[in-house]
Amino acid sequence: MFKLLKEVFRTGEATVKYPFAPLEVSKDFRGKPEHDAERCIACAACAVACPPNAIGIETDIEAATRAWVISYGRCIFCGRCEEVCPTGAIRLSTEFELAVTSKEDLTRRAVFKLAPCVSCGRPFAPAKEVAYVTALLAAAGGIEGDIERTRLLVATCPDCKRRHDATQVMNIGVAQMETR
Amino acid sequence: MDYPMADNTPSASLTQVETPIEYARMKGALLKDIRRSAYVYRVDCGGCNGCEIEIFAAITPLFDAERFGIKVVASPRHADILLYTGAMTRAMRAPALRAYEAAPDPKIVVSYGACGCSGGIFHDLYCVWGGTDKAVPVDVYIPGCPPTPAATIYGFAVALGLLGQKLKATTHIEADGEAAPISHPDIPYNLRVILEREARRMAGYRQGRDIAEQFLSLLDTPANSPVTERIARFLQQESDPRKAEIFARLQSIFTEAVSGGLR
Ligand code: SF4
Ligand code: SF4
Ligand code: SF4
Repeated sequence: MFKLLKEVFRTGEATVKYPFAPLEVSKDFRGKPEHDAERCIACAACAVACPPNAIGIETDIEAATRAWVISYGRCIFCGRCEEVCPTGAIRLSTEFELAVTSKEDLTRRAVFKLAPCVSCGRPFAPAKEVAYVTALLAAAGGIEGDIERTRLLVATCPDCKRRHDATQVMNIGVAQMETR
Repeated sequence: MDYPMADNTPSASLTQVETPIEYARMKGALLKDIRRSAYVYRVDCGGCNGCEIEIFAAITPLFDAERFGIKVVASPRHADILLYTGAMTRAMRAPALRAYEAAPDPKIVVSYGACGCSGGIFHDLYCVWGGTDKAVPVDVYIPGCPPTPAATIYGFAVALGLLGQKLKATTHIEADGEAAPISHPDIPYNLRVILEREARRMAGYRQGRDIAEQFLSLLDTPANSPVTERIARFLQQESDPRKAEIFARLQSIFTEAVSGGLR
């Protein structure tokens, strides 16, 4: 009996004070993915990587917008989004107090504008992504050192690129191509 | 996200449970006037069992949910709170409904874990109809995969009306002129990529990115002393030998690049 009591006193109180005091969690705890929309370029790498499709991308060509949507209710806190994000816009935080009474509160949206293609004028990619890629390529010296050509190339939609390629091939002529 | 369902999918035609009109008032009265433990009955509808383990972790002495009078009972007939874990599977829908009907009114339904909230990682399986709310009306959602014991306690506190909810739906609209900054524009892009890749190869994506960021900031900060000296000073304060090793590796890459070894 005495031995037991001694053990009890030696152990002290093991129960954490939470929720009356904040709970200390490890600095690399995988909590709520925190999305920094300013840094996000809406490239959708996270949406592709997300195993349970908690992150979705909704493109509205009519309104020329692309929405980035996350449902924390679907998220499995795996950190794949953080791993693939090229700009560091998403990072798992230490926030774990996520319980809600209505499901709508589990979502976060970020709406980005789409940039028009310089050739056909149809919206095709997020304006921020086009600007970011252009700036990165310019910092690396541009494609074959031609910054203006790089800018135009990045701001052209895939359809137009294909069409331009076809036109070029036509202008060269098949016979010429064979001799090259 | 719940994507709109085609009319011919089985879960589109699931009948919803009807609740009495007085239900909200009854629930309010239960929460206000409850003078005893809140009894919890668990229903596992088809998850991976991770959530059950965390629920039991939450009632161990370390987290001790029972100090708030939260008690797990063996029969839904005793329950005030029904705790649904796991995705709503085809096979478990009827048992889930039976447990719901068996619990006396008014009852609070808590949906636990990513699976309970929306189907989670199993959301697109052939036998999964989505979250708990596909079968029964849900009062509180506790996200997590699984929710930690602390998140569980927080969720119960929200369910019992002791703590307020923190998370709110937010929408960000791109402002005019908003641009994503390029990090460390003064450092050659190719060098930055090589440094980041090497740090991530050695330390994983999270710590790797953090360490690369620290190294690049050291390179980037304008100072009077040469970079090697600054790195040496930084490493003197660093007690973690693993980090020192990665820093040394990054430094050798950097020296090689400066001496023209890398393009
Ligand atoms: S942590 Fe995992 S599940 Fe959650 S949003 Fe990121 S990739 Fe998706
Ligand atoms: S990967 Fe990063 S930049 Fe791309 S959409 Fe996701 S959060 Fe935004
Ligand atoms: S939410 Fe995660 S831990 Fe819980 S049952 Fe589903 S898969 Fe398992």
